[in-house]
Amino acid sequence: MICPINFSLALDDDPGKYINRKAEVWNLFYRMMTVAFVIGSVVSGTLIWLVWRFRESNNNAKKTKYEEQGKW
Amino acid sequence: MTLEIQKPRPIWQIMFSTHHTDVGLLYLITSLAALFMGGTLALAIRLELFLPGSQFISDSMTFNRMFTVHGTTLIFLFILPFASAVGNYFVPIMVRYKDMAYPKLNAIAYWMIPPAFALIWLGFADFTWNAYAPYSVTRAPGPAADMWIFGLKLLGISSILGAINFIVTILKCKHPDLPLSKIPLLAWSYLTSSLIMLVAMPTFAAALLMLLTDRLGLSGFFNPAMGGDPIAYQHLFWFTFHPEVYVLVIPAIGFMYDIIPRFSRKPIFSHVSGIAAFVLLSIVGFASWAHHMYATGMSFTEKTVFMIGTLSAVPASAMHVFNFLATMWGGRIKFATPMMWAVGGIALFFSAGAGGVVNSAMPLDFMTHDSYWVVGHFHLFVMGTIAFGSFGFLYYIFPYVTGRMYNEKLGKIHFVMSFIGTIMVFFTQHILGLYGMPRRVFDYPPIPEWIAMNQFITIGAMIIGVGMVIFLINIVYSSGKGKEADMGDPWGVGGEKYYYPYQSKTPHH
Repeated sequence: MICPINFSLALDDDPGKYINRKAEVWNLFYRMMTVAFVIGSVVSGTLIWLVWRFRESNNNAKKTKYEEQGKW
Repeated sequence: MTLEIQKPRPIWQIMFSTHHTDVGLLYLITSLAALFMGGTLALAIRLELFLPGSQFISDSMTFNRMFTVHGTTLIFLFILPFASAVGNYFVPIMVRYKDMAYPKLNAIAYWMIPPAFALIWLGFADFTWNAYAPYSVTRAPGPAADMWIFGLKLLGISSILGAINFIVTILKCKHPDLPLSKIPLLAWSYLTSSLIMLVAMPTFAAALLMLLTDRLGLSGFFNPAMGGDPIAYQHLFWFTFHPEVYVLVIPAIGFMYDIIPRFSRKPIFSHVSGIAAFVLLSIVGFASWAHHMYATGMSFTEKTVFMIGTLSAVPASAMHVFNFLATMWGGRIKFATPMMWAVGGIALFFSAGAGGVVNSAMPLDFMTHDSYWVVGHFHLFVMGTIAFGSFGFLYYIFPYVTGRMYNEKLGKIHFVMSFIGTIMVFFTQHILGLYGMPRRVFDYPPIPEWIAMNQFITIGAMIIGVGMVIFLINIVYSSGKGKEADMGDPWGVGGEKYYYPYQSKTPHH
């Protein structure tokens, strides 16, 4: 489970309650980077696939319906 | 059709004209001059950081001056004037009006830029483009700092005048048969960014006056020795300049909205969602300014509010990205130079945004604050998205402006070198920041990882620099001796004649 993020990190200053802030922050960083990279991979992968698939030099490229209907 | 190249005019006729395309050309030339001047400073900064210790810049003060003028030049004298150039050329055409609403005001807005340019470059201030107090009040040497303040004051007035002109042109001068919802998204981008400018800029205008009177010893708004609060300056600064980020990025997205459907041979996927995303961005842009200031000792509640405000920009940005991807989907894409820049800009826009989301989480911000991560994040936006969109659009309007075609091969080489260089420089700067290197340093300890990354970044910057030289040669040569463009269809994408009607350059009036 990546979310929800535990924002109590910035609140826990009670005496005796020891928090390894460095570990917590890096933990949060890696979790958010995981989210960013997963979404990034999907979006970037889609973009790369679009560029490859729908380029006019692709063998499967065909006229868009707007070109065929003369609305372009 | 009468092409400009067949009917050359003396330069003074363009300089003293109030016609929107002439003022646009002046903006364009000024912005390109700023690009090369600011870019040269960037290369000098990168060369200095190639190794620890002093290379060829004698002292840290000179280094500070260089990156201050680099940032100020590229933000205020390249990106904004470039957007104004495009707006001047195309907003009246897109709303089907003969010119801008106030042509003389338009020319006045432009003519404030050259003196501001001179003030900034002749002064060469050293207090970064933020001009943070108390240093800017108590220690920054004059007259450089005062010249910078006056220069920015002029640029602020120019921006406000320009914004008023765009808003009035779009809202009041559009053709009666053209509903607001049907005007092109590029014109919508100018409407929303001008509204942001109009709301945001007066705050910084006031802050600059307060800064100046503080420097003169007449007041102590930001001077702790006189009971002032330096943090108040940061609030005023970022209230203007976080929305200003959207003023910079929204026109670049507007450029992409013009380029991507043309080269995908399809209409835009959703015109309405593009408008909605622009409006949304212009609103949430005002809800996030203090995320630049988490480290100044704000309360937890304040930080949470601004963190949520920052994250609320994500849906609007995602709507744009989705719109672009959905437009390309099912198209027959011609990868001419403008399209390559636009697609590269989308990829980097997403990367920069993802970094920003990580950065907006307040505990992480404490780690990245004032580190090279921030430099990488910010530059990935301004170079990777805004400049990429701008270069793409410059190639796109090149036939319109000059009547000639640029060299396609050189344009693609320029793109490839810039794309590779941008990734090498700004992605690596993120990592360098996580390794702890602070920003704005003239020298650094000889830590092997830091040296290796700095050298890698400098090589990337040089690749971008070589690409820019190729770009300069291309546009200078092609504007004079390039092939005459087919003004109906310069890139041969077929279909109906879609390109901006050259005839729309109505006679001077």
